[in-house]
Amino acid sequence: MTLLGEAALWFALPIGLWGAVAGFVGGRKGRGDLVLSAEYSVYAVFFLLILASVGIMNAFVTDQFQYWYVANYSNRELEMFYKVSGLWAGQRGSLVFWALLLSFFSSVAVFTNRTKNREFIPYAVGVLLTITSFFLLVLLFAEVNPFERMPFAPADGRGLNPQLQNYWMTIHPPTLYLGFTAFTVPFAFAISALLTGKLDTRWIVITRRWTLLSWFFLANGVIFGMRWAYEELGWGGFWFWDPVENASLLPWLTATAFLHSIQIQENRGMLKVWNMGLVALTFLLTIFATFLTRSGLIESVHTFSENTRIAFIFLTFMGFIAAVCILLIAWRYPLLKSENQIQSFLSREAAFLFNNLILLGAAFTVLWGTLFPLISEGFTGQQMTVGPPFFERVNLPIGLALLALMGIGPVIAWRKASRRNLIKNFVAPVVVGAVVVVLLYLRGVHHGMALVTFGLSSFVMTIIVVEFVKGTKARASIEGEGHLLAFFHLVSRNRRRWGGYIVHVGIVMIFTAFAGAAFDREVVQTLDPGEAITIESPFGHEYTLTYQGLSSPRGQNLLRQAVALMSVEKDGRPIGFIEAEKRLYVTWEAPVTEVGIRSTFLEDLYLILENVNDLGGAFENDAQAQRATFEVQVNVLVNWIWYGGFIITVGSIIGLWPSRGSTKPAPRAKTGGKRPALATLG
Amino acid sequence: MRNNGKFFVGLGGVALVVTYLIWTGVSDTMLYYLTPVELIARVADDPSFHEVGVKVSGRVVQGSWNRAENELLHHFSVVDLEDEKVTFPVEYRDMLPDTFNDTDIVDVVVEGRYREDGVFEATLVLAKCGSRYEATQEELLG
Repeated sequence: MTLLGEAALWFALPIGLWGAVAGFVGGRKGRGDLVLSAEYSVYAVFFLLILASVGIMNAFVTDQFQYWYVANYSNRELEMFYKVSGLWAGQRGSLVFWALLLSFFSSVAVFTNRTKNREFIPYAVGVLLTITSFFLLVLLFAEVNPFERMPFAPADGRGLNPQLQNYWMTIHPPTLYLGFTAFTVPFAFAISALLTGKLDTRWIVITRRWTLLSWFFLANGVIFGMRWAYEELGWGGFWFWDPVENASLLPWLTATAFLHSIQIQENRGMLKVWNMGLVALTFLLTIFATFLTRSGLIESVHTFSENTRIAFIFLTFMGFIAAVCILLIAWRYPLLKSENQIQSFLSREAAFLFNNLILLGAAFTVLWGTLFPLISEGFTGQQMTVGPPFFERVNLPIGLALLALMGIGPVIAWRKASRRNLIKNFVAPVVVGAVVVVLLYLRGVHHGMALVTFGLSSFVMTIIVVEFVKGTKARASIEGEGHLLAFFHLVSRNRRRWGGYIVHVGIVMIFTAFAGAAFDREVVQTLDPGEAITIESPFGHEYTLTYQGLSSPRGQNLLRQAVALMSVEKDGRPIGFIEAEKRLYVTWEAPVTEVGIRSTFLEDLYLILENVNDLGGAFENDAQAQRATFEVQVNVLVNWIWYGGFIITVGSIIGLWPSRGSTKPAPRAKTGGKRPALATLG
Repeated sequence: MRNNGKFFVGLGGVALVVTYLIWTGVSDTMLYYLTPVELIARVADDPSFHEVGVKVSGRVVQGSWNRAENELLHHFSVVDLEDEKVTFPVEYRDMLPDTFNDTDIVDVVVEGRYREDGVFEATLVLAKCGSRYEATQEELLG
């Protein structure tokens, strides 16, 4: 089984290369047989990569430790769940997984377009297979083959890093990979549009669902990563501004910009060069994310080992892609002329444009901060770094500007907003935002930036709610429907627009959660059983946690476990228990901290077992070894990140849901301008 | 595009603001990233460097870790990766990451200030057991 997988990987490369050449040549010469052969190659590569992936999983499940990759990421006692997900636990397997997802999406794109949009297919297939082949080349020739065998088989593997033995960690990387790889499809169609010269909005319409799909996975991938950090890293935070985290955020930021700017091209025929640039940039950033994760170039500057060969291969590839994109855009520049111009800063085009510029600005600051050690060393010879204070400081005003635009963009008129349009749409939301700020201030919220965030969030939420109410009422009275039915029809008739608004609600919740973090509290204390910690919530109540003692049960793949139990009282009333642990894994020498979390809608009670004075004794269930140090936190609104993520999912699914005739280009208001602003976002 | 003056005004405005934010952000928050050898040389050269925030990467000296009783206060020593003679004590008042210990080979990055009394007052400690994520064939055999 595993040998078959290894053979499949070797077969996939020539087929992928052949298909790439057949696609380009077939498109150039108009040879249908070559194009068809290229399309079959896509399916064949997908099938072979399934075999390769199953081969790796099989090696994990059957404990074949002669494989270097398996020996490094598994052990006999590891839970089955984590053995199966071993496919993407380490660098080597995850490269196969990446290629697998890419070939899956390529197959879906080829299959759904087998009878339509044929003029784009040859080159699109060529691009898709070129990129897949690149990953196969890396796998087979850059010393990262997951099927590499050692001359001996160790008795047991080294086990999976305990911090990766977490549910969120098994779904976080695949979700990100889904997002990264799905974006290759819009990129491939964009390149195809450039090569064929068919530069109307067709390529955008064909791929806009792909863009949304990719965006959706990226958003969730990032949020799952936050969730993992919050549960597993044991310090109550969810974002480090670590280079690898930043690398996953970058394509999400530019993909968000792209999702918005294509609407301007569809509706007003503007920003064509910009959109080409964005699609290329976003694709490059997805490759950059893999590159940064794989090469370890940034973190490794002083200490950790790096794979310079992979770094070099990826840099060359990114340089090649960037050069091709720039040359193609320059070549087709005459066909990418704007059909319209911005007439006023008070217009939807301008709001979307600013949204784009600011998102790009955010991406640039994150990229700059991430690469700053390399930049400073390059220019001054002295390495300098910037950390979370830099990113937070710079991105706070940027984020607030985006939040404001999220309210303004959807309701301001196209071309030039009239005084009436402005008053009608913005007076009520501004009033609501201001009232919220005043009320919160009177209730004792005096944190300036948090107040601004809460005010802007209320402003945006009011705009969205008013839009829904207005739309539903209008439909109910025109069609004579009940309000619930009218609401349902409203959303289902223009899923993209209303789905987008729902996504905005999720984003607003996440912004609010970030601001909530300004009110977090924490207390550190050393306790004997019977002693208690009290912590006051910013919402006015008080928690009392009474230490009940340590116990030492034993779980799968664990040598020892010390579980501290606390009873929790809220304002003197018992509300339950909370547990925090130190674990010692079979394959891991250092103990691992597991936090306890008690969630409510507005806040989390978060317990960390910071230290056990006599951990060895505690593991032996020694009644004397009970003294321990705890950190208790009240984390305000942190749950709203996960709720926001759920709402983003709902909104994205509404936007993604296939509707009849969806691939027809949207009617575009070219010159007349009689069309009401509401209808044109479709 | 020639007449799209407003587009370029917007572009220029946002670019200026972003540049300003990055510029002030970098100059207010950046830290020197040094090895212990470089740090010691710097402060010998210029004593005012004791006041500057720095980030230093090195290795935890095995057996050097002490934890204050009943208080969240850690002491350990960091040694240069190349020159074993260059070492300094670190003081840290927060939780250490799980990856930190003084029995394995643990590489750390400490962020903070190198005080005039020769103690590094850390505000952040990152640790990675360099050898533990992926092993060589020899290590797997042993």
